[in-house]
Amino acid sequence: MRRLLTALIALAVQFAPPLHAAAPGVTENRIRIATIQDLSGPIAMLGAPIRDGIVMRLDEENERGGVHGRRLAIAVEDSGYDPKKAILATRRLLGSGEVFAFLGNLGTPVVMATMPLIVDAGLPHLFPFSPHQATYAPTHPLKYQLFAPYRDYMDAAVRYMLQEKGYRRVGLLYQDDDYGLEVMRGVEAGLASQGLELVERTGYKRGATDYASQIARLRAAGCDLVVLATVVRETVAAMREARKVGWAVDMLVTASGYSAQTHELGGEAVEGLYGVSVMPHPYADAAEGDLYDWIQRYRTRYDADPNVWSAMGYDVADTFIQGLRAAGRDLDAASFSAALGQLKTTPGFLGGPTYQFSPDDHLGNRRGRMARIVSGRWQLVSDYLD
Amino acid sequence: MIRGLAGLALFALAVAGGGWGHALAQVALVATWALAGLGLVLVVGQTGQLSLGHGAMLALGAYVQAGLVAAGLPALLALPVAAAAGAALGLLASLPGRRLGGLAFGMSTLAFALIVEELLVRLAPWTGGAAGQVVPAFTVGPWRLSSPVAQAALSVAVLTLAWLACRRLIGSALGRAWRASRDNEAAAMAIGVDVGAVRQAAFVAGGALGALAGALSAHWLGYLSPEQFGLGLSFELLMMVFVGGVRTPSGALLGGVVMVALPQLIAIARGALPVLGGGAAGLEVLLFGAVLVVIVLARPAGLAGDGR
Amino acid sequence: MLAQVLLSGIATGCVYGLVALSFVLVFKATETVSFMQGELLMLGAFAAVLLVEGGGWPVWLALPAAVLVLFAIGALLEGGVLRRALGQPHLTAVLLTFGLGLMLRGGVTMVPAATHQMHRLELPLAGVLSLGPLQLAGEHLAVVLATALACASLAAFFRFTRAGVALRACSEDARVAALMGISPTRMHTLAWALGAALAGFAGVLLAPVTLVHPGMGLIALKAFPAAVIGGLSSLPGALAGGVLVGVFEALTGLYLPDGAKDLAVYGLMLAVLLLFPRGLGGRGAAA
Repeated sequence: MRRLLTALIALAVQFAPPLHAAAPGVTENRIRIATIQDLSGPIAMLGAPIRDGIVMRLDEENERGGVHGRRLAIAVEDSGYDPKKAILATRRLLGSGEVFAFLGNLGTPVVMATMPLIVDAGLPHLFPFSPHQATYAPTHPLKYQLFAPYRDYMDAAVRYMLQEKGYRRVGLLYQDDDYGLEVMRGVEAGLASQGLELVERTGYKRGATDYASQIARLRAAGCDLVVLATVVRETVAAMREARKVGWAVDMLVTASGYSAQTHELGGEAVEGLYGVSVMPHPYADAAEGDLYDWIQRYRTRYDADPNVWSAMGYDVADTFIQGLRAAGRDLDAASFSAALGQLKTTPGFLGGPTYQFSPDDHLGNRRGRMARIVSGRWQLVSDYLD
Repeated sequence: MIRGLAGLALFALAVAGGGWGHALAQVALVATWALAGLGLVLVVGQTGQLSLGHGAMLALGAYVQAGLVAAGLPALLALPVAAAAGAALGLLASLPGRRLGGLAFGMSTLAFALIVEELLVRLAPWTGGAAGQVVPAFTVGPWRLSSPVAQAALSVAVLTLAWLACRRLIGSALGRAWRASRDNEAAAMAIGVDVGAVRQAAFVAGGALGALAGALSAHWLGYLSPEQFGLGLSFELLMMVFVGGVRTPSGALLGGVVMVALPQLIAIARGALPVLGGGAAGLEVLLFGAVLVVIVLARPAGLAGDGR
Repeated sequence: MLAQVLLSGIATGCVYGLVALSFVLVFKATETVSFMQGELLMLGAFAAVLLVEGGGWPVWLALPAAVLVLFAIGALLEGGVLRRALGQPHLTAVLLTFGLGLMLRGGVTMVPAATHQMHRLELPLAGVLSLGPLQLAGEHLAVVLATALACASLAAFFRFTRAGVALRACSEDARVAALMGISPTRMHTLAWALGAALAGFAGVLLAPVTLVHPGMGLIALKAFPAAVIGGLSSLPGALAGGVLVGVFEALTGLYLPDGAKDLAVYGLMLAVLLLFPRGLGGRGAAA
């Protein structure tokens, strides 16, 4: 019995990686990073294309010989949107001593639970998909973010709609969670800038099926613009309900509803919908040049059309690579963070914005563009809004 | 002895698969989940009531703890307050039991849990609402328990204390009254057991244990939002104790091991064996379900049960 | 406006009712609360999508085929797993449905096409019907009609067919039924298969309204209270409970402050339980 015990402990010690590795994840010819995605939970629809976009960009870099002679490898973990699982996955990755940085982790509960562990271990926490401010403020040498909170985008978008289109009575349909709340604050800020307030607000729980009462309330309030803090499914359902009862009100959806699926599934009913675009959707039939090649490569590789989330994943990885290049061959968390803190990216063929960091501002971009569904596809109708 | 060895083997495997930090973080989570499970063992296993809303107890414990610590109370002192709040909530949740029994009462606890979840969203000034709130690390004097070792040590310590208390309760006159009211309500009443009060007592104790678990997990997860305490959590906890064995405290522990460690083992195994379908998401969920089915079929009384 | 919202509530309530019906059917025959009805519903919708998008079947053929597929899956799950719980405590079967539900959800999640995008199932009845000032969506009308049809055929099945009468006898008193020569195992299979088919039917009806995605089974969380409100052992009660929940939800959404809509169902359930512990239509669910 005791022999068995000793053997077990010996086994554990044998396989356990050393507690302190010299330069985690970076060797002579390789850099290992990690990402925690939701591939099986409620937002797997985002997680899968994000992962595909990231992995594709890293592999392309490897085909060109890597960054400063180092190939890039990524460990993908599935949290299923469960912070408990995410913490264990993070501990496992940290324990392996073979991770240089975490890139593009997905989901606010997951990000908020794992970010302290990652940063405490001295690893960069880069460009998570969470609208929470703590991902970049207060400024921390290891925390960087590409995407602004919904609040910033929606504030600007609502001001645009009021000033350019003359709407006066704005109502809000929002998902009853952190996302919906963020949007509400942004919409209220945009309205306040013109001395206005929301004339009606009405919520729904994730997974709701019927929006008749919400639409009826918004209609009774006499809205001339309805802001939708919804995701694709609810966007389609809300607009179909409004059109069904013959209410031709204009609607504006957040970047979460800016998806090709919105018009693919919504059809006629979502025609004319305004949206906020952070990255343009990569439409295959209108693409030319590099973008066309990229879409073809993506299709061949994953047997699916890329969407705006794939593009964002690709952009996240691209920005990471630009940071690595700037950091030079002599790579550790400090040199990387110093380089990233002065980085200004060159936008690629995907049509995303320029991301620019400074030593005391680690949020890469605050501006979105207005888009509108015209003849069954999203078209950009404004430049980047301030 | 065999179980202890199996546990040790599992721990060795966890260390081998993901390092000490990973293994100890698992210990902390297993202990915390087992703590919540203990509450269900009292309510469901010992007293025979159906609780579909245990997640609400964890929610209250977590929010009370987070609120008190944010207000400056030392975390160790906040723990008993959180437990007391959980006990009070347990009492409240048990009230419909005076009128309802069985499944109908279970449904009332489910409704209760949903109402608590909604209140967490609505009471935004205190709870942070749907946006959630950040929970600071557990600090004892000058020490900040942010390492897996410290978290595991504290969780195991609290679990041990709770375990001893549970054993005492189960062995006491109250424990006998619990089992009497579970096995034969009429006979229990005939020998003078106040069945209603006895059942409520189980809920009070269960609520306190659940809240303790919630308070600890709030620190381990570092971020609270109402959606984490939805029905999914209540069902997960219930499933955990049934898999482990609902009638004895060790069932809660075994259940905790299965719920926390099994998905990790599957993840490690599939990293090592690409045959298991490297990229396919959902495999873990599928295998987890399959393991549950097998356990339930092979040992209907749970892993800790007598195998009947 | 009130009438319009009420109409929507009734249509949604019919879907709740159908799922509630599947809960009750299983509960009556097996005394098991099934936690996999939501997953079966989702599976039914995906089966229809697969047949239409993948197999190129016409919708009118794919819908009944999907329901049949679910019937077979129900029978298969019963034969492979649930039958082993016969004679065990009731909770064993409940836990099994839990595990099976996880397996079904995990299995669907493993198919990339199912998780990476949503699907739409176009019913032949799409369009809007105008009744004076009221607008009735085609898919809502279809839901109401199909629910009526399903209930009528279910009632006929229980009244006029041998299998239906046997199933009823079995759920009244399994031992006496067995003495009369009814095979309890076959009735057990039939109950689970019918329960799965009904959930699948609800799934294909819900598909045009909410789109098809792995999370659509969440609707069972509303349907279960509907079943409880109707008294877990009454089939007409379940349907009435569903419609009641749908209408109640619509009204609270219209008139009460934000957030009340989502709690209303559970508040209603709590009230009904406390006032009528056996449910509105039941004679023996509680105790």
